[in-house]
Amino acid sequence: MKGLLIKDFKLMKNQKNFLLLLVLIAALFVFVKDISFVITYMTFMGTLFSMSSISYDEFDNGNAFLFSLPVTRRGYVIEKYGFGLILGGGAWLIGTILAVVIGRIQHTDSITETIMTALIILPLMWIALSAVLPFQLKYGGEKGRIVMIGVFGIFFAIGAAVMKVAKILNIDLIYVMDHLPEIHMSVLTMSSIGVAAVVLLVSCKISISIVNKKEF
Amino acid sequence: MLRIEHLKKEYQEFSLDCSLEVKPGCVTGLIGQNGAGKSTTFKAVLGLIKKDQGTIRILGKDSQELGPKEKQELGVVLSDSGFSNYLTVNDVIPVLSSLYQKFDRSYFLEQIQKFGLPRDKKIKEFSTGMKAKLKVIVAASHGAKLLILDEPTAGLDVVARDELLEVLRDFMEQEEDRAILISSHISSDLETLCDDLYMIHEGKIVLHEDTDVLLSDYGLLKVSDSQYEKLEKRHILRYKKESFGYSCLTDQKQYYLENYPQIAVEKGTVDEVITMMIRGAEK
Repeated sequence: MKGLLIKDFKLMKNQKNFLLLLVLIAALFVFVKDISFVITYMTFMGTLFSMSSISYDEFDNGNAFLFSLPVTRRGYVIEKYGFGLILGGGAWLIGTILAVVIGRIQHTDSITETIMTALIILPLMWIALSAVLPFQLKYGGEKGRIVMIGVFGIFFAIGAAVMKVAKILNIDLIYVMDHLPEIHMSVLTMSSIGVAAVVLLVSCKISISIVNKKEF
Repeated sequence: MLRIEHLKKEYQEFSLDCSLEVKPGCVTGLIGQNGAGKSTTFKAVLGLIKKDQGTIRILGKDSQELGPKEKQELGVVLSDSGFSNYLTVNDVIPVLSSLYQKFDRSYFLEQIQKFGLPRDKKIKEFSTGMKAKLKVIVAASHGAKLLILDEPTAGLDVVARDELLEVLRDFMEQEEDRAILISSHISSDLETLCDDLYMIHEGKIVLHEDTDVLLSDYGLLKVSDSQYEKLEKRHILRYKKESFGYSCLTDQKQYYLENYPQIAVEKGTVDEVITMMIRGAEK
């Protein structure tokens, strides 16, 4: 497993320019003062970035050789989830720190608020990873990417629909969110992290059975 | 070391039925044309594809029980797959040393240097020969008991091929009970290296013989129509109609040399034997 992780990190080195661009864009958004966007953007781009390792593996039928090494198919899948969580989580952490620092300098957002925002984004990242990885492993990097765009599209559509319904019903969601007692917010955050962790485990199980059925 | 019994795999226009054995201390060759079933056999042994029927025992275990522990003892070269072309030799070193407990870093580096492989260039910039050398060095660098090499010499010039075969000879000399299963569609590669040879054609093993016996006892008889009529056909494996009469493949060259002094008997090369086994008709 460690060997596969090292391989993936070495492969990511090939995309260091892309990584640099990612951070630069994030830094630009800081000036827009949309702190939650900085965290969301960093987290999802980091997760997306991890997916490219699947494309690298299947390029030139590299998977056949990988599975002749002392790794199991199960181990390979777990490594992919691990790699996604490490990169996504790392980007999330950087994004959060960036947001906290900027918030302090500009006296815009309170640290608690920023961390709350970050804690809501974290389980969303896990769910996105859970939704996308089985498709990536089943259909391969290219087709998997199309599915991923679809999944994000659905997320946005659901978000937009909720806003629309709220508008029709004359509920100001932002006002509601802002005025939820903090205790409720933390329960909400913790339970969504719990749910996301379960989704992640189920997704991992599905991915293992997908890869077990594959021939190389 | 490796025993395959009636390994079957069905595809739409191809079916494989292969049995072979690799004994400890032996280098066994699998020769066949492109598409004869060599890679399918190798991939089934490694569990990369599922077999339909048959048994494969590898390193004393059923191939289905082949886990990371057993794979430590295997060195593999696949003809159509390898480390990502976007990695460098330097990238591959820590990967190998964390995957293989017995990875011999100094041997690996020594071989890399000996073959003049650049350590910081991406593999995609390597020539065909350099890529092939890297694959074989990787397979031979972690104290494996069994090497499974699918077309390791494909696309190589004669010099590069000899250098690779040298690595394999060294590998065999280091420990007595090591073994190699190697495939090629170029038989001259295998003539000098292998103890025994299997020939595969359209998914079936058509011949298994010790290389020594093949080179000493097999021969081609070139006979006219009338000579063919009078010929003792007990020791004829295959025959083929030619412009001058018949070509006949025998596994008892000496018999014909002694009893039919007027007949032209050519020494059998592996290539000729294969061609006759595939193109010739059964008597």
